[in-house]
Amino acid sequence: MLARLRALFRFQESGLLLVILALGVLLTAFAGTVRTPVFERAADGSRTRVFTANAEGERVPLLAEKNKFLNAQNLAQLAKDTSFIAVMAVGMAVVIIAGGIDLTVGSIYALASVVGALVLHRYGPEGLIPSVSPALGIVLGAGACLGVAALCGLATGGLIVALRVHPFIITLGGMAIYRGIAFVITKGQSVGAFPAAFRDFVRFEVGDGLSFVPLATMIVVLIVGWIFLSRLAAGRRVYAIGGNELAARFSGIRVERVKLGVYLISGLCAGIAALLSLGYYGAATSGDGQGYELNVIAAAVVGGASLTGGRGSALGVVLGALIIQMISSGIVILGIDQNYSQIIIGSVVIAAVVLDNLNTWLAKRRLTAAAH
Amino acid sequence: MPFLKFTSITKRFPGVLALDGVSFSVERGTCHALIGENGAGKSTLGKILAGVYSADSGQLFLDGQPIAPSSPLAARELGIAMVHQELAFCPNLSVAENLCLGDLPRRAGGFVDRPALRARARAMLATVGADIDPDTIIGTLSTGREQLVQIAAAVGTGARIIVMDEPTSSLSAAETADLFRLIRELKARGLTLIYVSHRMEELFALCDNITVLRDGHHIATEPIPSTTPARVVTQMIGRELRAQTPAHLTRDLGPIRLAAENLASPGAFTDINLVVHAGEIVGLAGIVGAGRSAVVQALFGLDPAVTGQVRVNDRPLALGSIDSALAAGLGLVPEDRKRQGLVLGLNCRENTALAALPLLTRLGLVRRTAERALAERYAKRLRLKTPSIEAITAGLSGGNQQKIALAKWLARDCDVLLVDEPTRGVDVGAKAEIYQLLDELACEGKALLVVSSELPELIGLCRRILVMREGTLVGELPPASFSGAALMQLMAGLPAA
Ligand SMILES: Nc1ncnc2c1ncn2[C@@H]1O[C@H](COP(=O)(O)OP(=O)(O)OP(=O)(O)O)[C@@H](O)[C@H]1O
Ligand SMILES: [Mg+2]
Repeated sequence: MLARLRALFRFQESGLLLVILALGVLLTAFAGTVRTPVFERAADGSRTRVFTANAEGERVPLLAEKNKFLNAQNLAQLAKDTSFIAVMAVGMAVVIIAGGIDLTVGSIYALASVVGALVLHRYGPEGLIPSVSPALGIVLGAGACLGVAALCGLATGGLIVALRVHPFIITLGGMAIYRGIAFVITKGQSVGAFPAAFRDFVRFEVGDGLSFVPLATMIVVLIVGWIFLSRLAAGRRVYAIGGNELAARFSGIRVERVKLGVYLISGLCAGIAALLSLGYYGAATSGDGQGYELNVIAAAVVGGASLTGGRGSALGVVLGALIIQMISSGIVILGIDQNYSQIIIGSVVIAAVVLDNLNTWLAKRRLTAAAH
Repeated sequence: MPFLKFTSITKRFPGVLALDGVSFSVERGTCHALIGENGAGKSTLGKILAGVYSADSGQLFLDGQPIAPSSPLAARELGIAMVHQELAFCPNLSVAENLCLGDLPRRAGGFVDRPALRARARAMLATVGADIDPDTIIGTLSTGREQLVQIAAAVGTGARIIVMDEPTSSLSAAETADLFRLIRELKARGLTLIYVSHRMEELFALCDNITVLRDGHHIATEPIPSTTPARVVTQMIGRELRAQTPAHLTRDLGPIRLAAENLASPGAFTDINLVVHAGEIVGLAGIVGAGRSAVVQALFGLDPAVTGQVRVNDRPLALGSIDSALAAGLGLVPEDRKRQGLVLGLNCRENTALAALPLLTRLGLVRRTAERALAERYAKRLRLKTPSIEAITAGLSGGNQQKIALAKWLARDCDVLLVDEPTRGVDVGAKAEIYQLLDELACEGKALLVVSSELPELIGLCRRILVMREGTLVGELPPASFSGAALMQLMAGLPAA
């Protein structure tokens, strides 16, 4: 039992779990309580408030006292917010492990969102094509959203490989270009009015307001990312290229092809997040996802992906995304001025990397002591 | 009183005890040899003396005073310097800038005082008689010249003790001779040298005393005149080493596996014609810079500018593409294990499997048990010294890294294996093991083209030796006329005696 516990804490991401646990405890302790109305779920799935009579016999809503952080609604909200960042962070991790960087994810998210939104709008209640088959509309919209995202990723990767320019430069340019395209095709207008079924599907809730689809998507992306990175030959090639590109080339690895692939993956992940947002929010504008690239890179780095390449894991970056999101929502819950949030998140990124180095050093010491 | 004394030096690394209570002393003004198997702890000992690592326990004495160099700078102040085998300089800066990097001469306002910088560098270079322009960019120097700059940096800053870690492993014969001349001169000036090498003949020609380490233990320290190479080998590996004649030499040759015609690459080599048969090991000799590595790299598809015809197994090979080289059954063990051979951040298992990944993959998934078995097999076969095959290769000793760089291509099972300096930095025991492995490959009907700067290696292993000079093939020796002298003459372009 103890040995198994120890084994659990020896695995790489245990440090992140500890941080999450500590954050959770701190937030719960300092969050204080709120009184919120109690809901009840009717047979048809709709939620209604519960009323009761007070001393004077008036009908008043029933209120319950809850911890501001540790309550079902807030946790459900946290799970949803994390899903969006985490899905993109898994893609980013793949790029970073390959020794690259992708600043385009926020812009791809916006461009994929608005293209998907335009298609969905045509098949929606206000669209030109009467919504004979919402299912067809949804499939086409989703296809457009993911397709555009994948194309953008491919274009980024293609430019990096063909021009042999540092990915930072190419993706910095791509970030402006993709968002610009999104702005041009929507003229800055918000696009909404999608088939209702789409929104219903993505917003489908289980338990006390937990949106199932974003969470499930994140878990699927995590599992696929984990298998890709740790079990597939393709994933091994990603680590090899990030660790030593020349040696990878000498080993017969098609470096260009792998690089193309990692940016494709990152773009696709941004597309998946965009699709979730379309369903969840029911509208898109070219300004969506502004600054996401930094949050996503932060999540990846906090989650242990090394910017020098060759190191990182899918589970790590998902936990990293959770940490970033816990902090953002903690700032709201604790009632800290929003203006501080950037400062706090920035500090956390630096602290996390320092802690990670410390952890590696400690693990090394443990091993050293174990030798004879 | 001994000049320099190590007492009970112990050093641990994750999973290994690199040095275990090592004690011996070094006399002033001598050249002291340090030898031992790969991973025996030689480099670690040198690095402790030079302040790169600090010992976990034990004490160093210099002139009877206890010293504890805590950094390379502190060691430098005590008069101790190390000439590293790996890059120790910034390749993008000039010789002068590198030499004075720790203390750039400055004028008011923080501007670098260029004339003073140059003058100081020139003075340092003069201490070792090096004729190198201080404005040369380090990256453009040959390994030998760069090493000379490293020695100049040591001697020029008043070093009394210089640790040299395998200084000759990437030098040409002429450069090696120059280095030996310099070492003798330094010794005459009263400097003390600690000389790490796997080349027995060098140690016996150059050194006064020899210390043998095995598995982190001190085995013996003896004056060179009172020991023999065979005795040292036995002390090193704990058993006797018997030289064997390779079995492939007596077998019949198979069909031609590799044939190159009129191979040329602008600025590197011209007019290369060679064939290698199944079951044959052909050596490629030449001095450093003769173009040997360029030829094997071009055959492996790494040179886009190469022209000519190459046939592998009687099928034409598309030049300039690693993909087609691999598909045709070619493999290349590159000369520079750190840059070209290994991904140092990956572990031994992953590195061993890297080139063979397509063979270890089913439906895109790496077959983990097969992969582990493969890595275990080669680790055992090549006597790899590592805490486990899951250890990161960056922590392995140089020779053990070389074994993995080789294992990785042995695992790929190529028809034609191009091998560039297969035993650089490998100890005698493992060398014998590698020769035997290459011999077995030849007996299985593979074709091998081996580039090496160690002539005894080529003479012992090959059926034919081709000699390159200045980018062209200048001769071929059949086994009957194998001799160090004959090879040297061809390599250097001297008329036959
Ligand atoms: N930085 C390090 N981290 C972890 N292990 C190390 C490190 N440096 C050395 N070791 C280990 O310490 C042992 C001694 O290594 P060292 O480099 O001193 O060997 P060596 O005698 O110089 O071998 P070689 O002849 O191959 O150069 C080896 O087992 C090696 O794996
Ligand atoms: Mg060494």
